[in-house]
Parts: sequence; structure tokens; C-alpha cells
Amino acid sequence: MMNQKNFFRAILGCSLAVAFYLTLLPGLPIAVRASIQSQGQQVNLSPRDKQVVAAFEARVKEYVKLRESLENKLPKLSQDATPEQIEKHKTAFQEVVRSARTGAKQGNVFTPEAAAYIRVTIKREFKGTDRQELRKTVLVEADTKAVPLRVNYPYPESEELLEMPPTLLLKLPQLPKQVRYRFVGRNMLLVDRENALIVDYMLDAVP
Amino acid sequence: MRRILALMLVITALALGAVRQESFGQSYSTASSKNNLSSSAPIKVSLPMKEGSVRFLVIGDTGTGGKEQYQVADLMTRYRQVYPFEFVLMMGDNLYSGEKAEDYKKKFEIPYQKLLDEKVKFYATLGNHDESNQRLYENFNMNGEEYYRFKKGNVAFYSLNSNYMDAKQLKWLEEQLAKDGSEWKIAFFHHPPYSSGGKHGSETKLREVVEPIFLKYGVNAVFAGHEHFYERIKPQKGIYYFISGAGGKLRSGDVNKGSPLTAKAFDKDLSFMLIEIAKDEMHFQVISRNGETVDSGVIVNQRKKSMAASN
Repeated sequence: MMNQKNFFRAILGCSLAVAFYLTLLPGLPIAVRASIQSQGQQVNLSPRDKQVVAAFEARVKEYVKLRESLENKLPKLSQDATPEQIEKHKTAFQEVVRSARTGAKQGNVFTPEAAAYIRVTIKREFKGTDRQELRKTVLVEADTKAVPLRVNYPYPESEELLEMPPTLLLKLPQLPKQVRYRFVGRNMLLVDRENALIVDYMLDAVP
Repeated sequence: MRRILALMLVITALALGAVRQESFGQSYSTASSKNNLSSSAPIKVSLPMKEGSVRFLVIGDTGTGGKEQYQVADLMTRYRQVYPFEFVLMMGDNLYSGEKAEDYKKKFEIPYQKLLDEKVKFYATLGNHDESNQRLYENFNMNGEEYYRFKKGNVAFYSLNSNYMDAKQLKWLEEQLAKDGSEWKIAFFHHPPYSSGGKHGSETKLREVVEPIFLKYGVNAVFAGHEHFYERIKPQKGIYYFISGAGGKLRSGDVNKGSPLTAKAFDKDLSFMLIEIAKDEMHFQVISRNGETVDSGVIVNQRKKSMAASN
């Protein structure tokens, strides 16, 4: 049975936690705030999960650092580029990154721990009819059947770039702007948005 | 002698097939057009064409490089002679199945060449068939960004990337809208938050994150594509939603008949929208590939409407 002192300590602790939490909220977009409030587990990551997420984000940043250093050596592409310039840049960028990552293998970024964390996150986000809808989208409707699951290979231009569910994006580890999550079937890819190379992939992301 | 006779025959044939130009609001056709459908389509503009108004055109899902796209492009060009719109909003799927220089030419530059020559600007958004690199293309006017804002007169336009609506983009959107005092705020992006389409339907996860922001900051209207038809959605919490996704592709019969969302829909032919914003009114006219007006109307600015109601 809790004595009076401990009871008041618990009340004080909870109040401080709530006050701290509320100071963070105003800085976030209202949709993000609403989403975080409704998904307590996103805010309350276990220490183990925090480690997994931090390690995953660090590996992604490592890739981004590499590709930035390689892109900086190429002729700069302006924001008023011609189609020929865009095509030439993409091709050259693909070549240098592919050469620099010849040893890249599946699981280098999506380690088993990171993949497990992401699977659980997706499972929590998509339940019931939402899960059925997601399966229908990725397995039936999407034009992604010709996408090869091969690290360091280009995502084909002819294939659809499936929309990532925004509410899921708010829950997954945040990525730098240079790379994207993308579903192909039930699998999740990490794709470079400029050179379109598949950085890594994980199988069976969709429950 | 034979040569002179041949030349006379050619001149006679050309004279018989010459352009017959009539006054505003009536038929206008050219014999030089490769296709018969849009070249004989009548031009009828029901917009008021007020001085100083913001005039633009909305197309979506155009990038096939096919005959249908070219037919619609031809009709757009002809309409411009009568209704001089300043710019075009593209709802995404700007280039299907390829991002090579050839694709840009065949699926954008050639069909819209005349409009580009007349300095009409195209403001694009990215669809689920568009790579991010399109944001760098000079003629899509995206300022190198996947999401951006621009202003024309008293209208602010927000082009969003609905393929990847992450926290950064939402934060940007809210920050921009919070300080935007424009009388009209229009958002456009590829995936429709509300839709009566059978193939895709409403993007409810997207709606969940953007609608609260639109409501909070008074977005007046939202344009989207992705569905290959036209639909005007009944106002949702005071916001007007349009789908204009039949600029190059059509999914005939895809609109769920009897959908409670639909104010008006057209899924029998390709189409595009003409818009005119004049002070507190947004006029729209939806034209099919054969020149038929399949929808038209006017929207009063919601803020002005509620001010008038309270007075």
C-alpha cells in the first residue's frame, strides 16, 4: 500500500511529465501533434527501441554522407535544368554511387533489429480494415511487380512510386530528404530520391 | 502546263480547307490539326473574364505521350485564343513510364509546345509515376522543391507532394499557411483526399494529416488528380475539392454512381478545367475532349461568405 509521501511524489512526477510534454507540443504541426497524442507508444519508446532507431538513423546518415560527397564531385544540377541535364546527372550519379557501394548487401541498413522494429510499427499502425486496404494497395493495385529487389540497383523508371501512407511516415524513423521509404509488394525499400538506387530493402514489412 | 495545273489544284484545295473563324463563343476549327475530335470541338467559354482576374487551367495525369493527350492539348491551345489563361496547374503523373529526355519531349514539350511558346507557365506537382528529379525541370517551375508555394494576384497556391507527406512537409505547410494573409488559398497535389473513384477512392490517411491544417488556416479549394476522371466533391467542412485527372488518360465509368460525395462527375471522356478567380468569386468550367461543358459554376470565398452572413 502506497504511503502518503510516495503518493504525492507520484502526483508531482506525473504533473512534471505532463507539463514537459505540453511544452514540446506547440512546436509541432497540429496533425503531427494529433497523431502523437493518439499513439502513445510512438512517444514512449523503450530504451532498446531508441537504440535501434538511433542506430538505423546513423546508418542512413552514413549512406547520405557518402552519396553527398560523390554528388559534390559531379557537375552541379540547377533547379532550372533541361531534361538532358537531368538524365545525364542521374546516370552519372548512379554510376559513382554503385561503384562506391559494390560490397553493399541486403541488411546493411535494415539490420534484423531495425527490420523487426519497423514491422512492429507497421503492424501497430495498420489494423483491421486498414491492414486489408494496405495489402490491397501494395499487392493488387500497385504497378511495382517489375521492381527488382536488389541492393545498389536502380528502381525502374517504368514502375510506380507507391504513395507512403502519411500516418505511417510520422511513426517510422525519420529519414533525411535524400532517401525514401517505398513499398514494393509487402517489402519495404530504402531508395535514393535522386539517383533512384535501392539502398537496402527488408522483406515482409507489411503484415 | 501540267505543273501550273497541279499548282492551281493545290491552291484550290487549300482555299477550300481554310480556317473558318467565327466570333467569341462559337465554333472554331482548323484543317491543319492532325486529329478530328478536338479540332472540330466548339469553343464556348462561360467564364466572366473580368479585368485583373487570375486565370488558369487545371490538368492531371497527362504524361502518356498518346493521341488522347495531344487532342486535349490541342483543345487547350485553342481555348487560350479565346480565354487567355496565364498558367497551368499540373496534378501529377506528368510523365508515365520513363524519365529520359525523350519522355519529357514526347509527353510534355511537344503536346504543349504552342502554350510554352506563348510563355504559359506550367506549375507541376509530383504523382506516383513521377520521379523527384522532375522538381528540377525548368518548365515545371517547382523551384527545385518537391513542395512549394507561389502567388498570383490575391491567390496563394500550395503545391504539395502527396507521394511522401512527411513531418517536414507538414511543418512547412503549416508555417507557410500560418503567415499567409492571401484572400484565396488553393492547395494542389496528386492524391485526392475525397474521391468517388472505384479504382482508388478517397486517400483517407492523407486526409487525416492535411485536412486539419487546411481547416485551421482557411484553405478555400483543393485540386487533385490520380483518378482518371473529373469530379467536383460536395464541400467538405466548408472546403471545395476537385479532381481533374483526365488530361491524358480516362478510366471510363469509374465513378461510383450514387456516391454521397459527388456534386458532379464526368467519366465518359477526357477533360480539363478552366478557372477564373475574380475578387471573391472562383468561377470554373470543365471542358471535355469534344468541347462539351460538363460542369461549371462559381464558388464564393468562404471567409467573405461568412462575414456577409454575420452582418
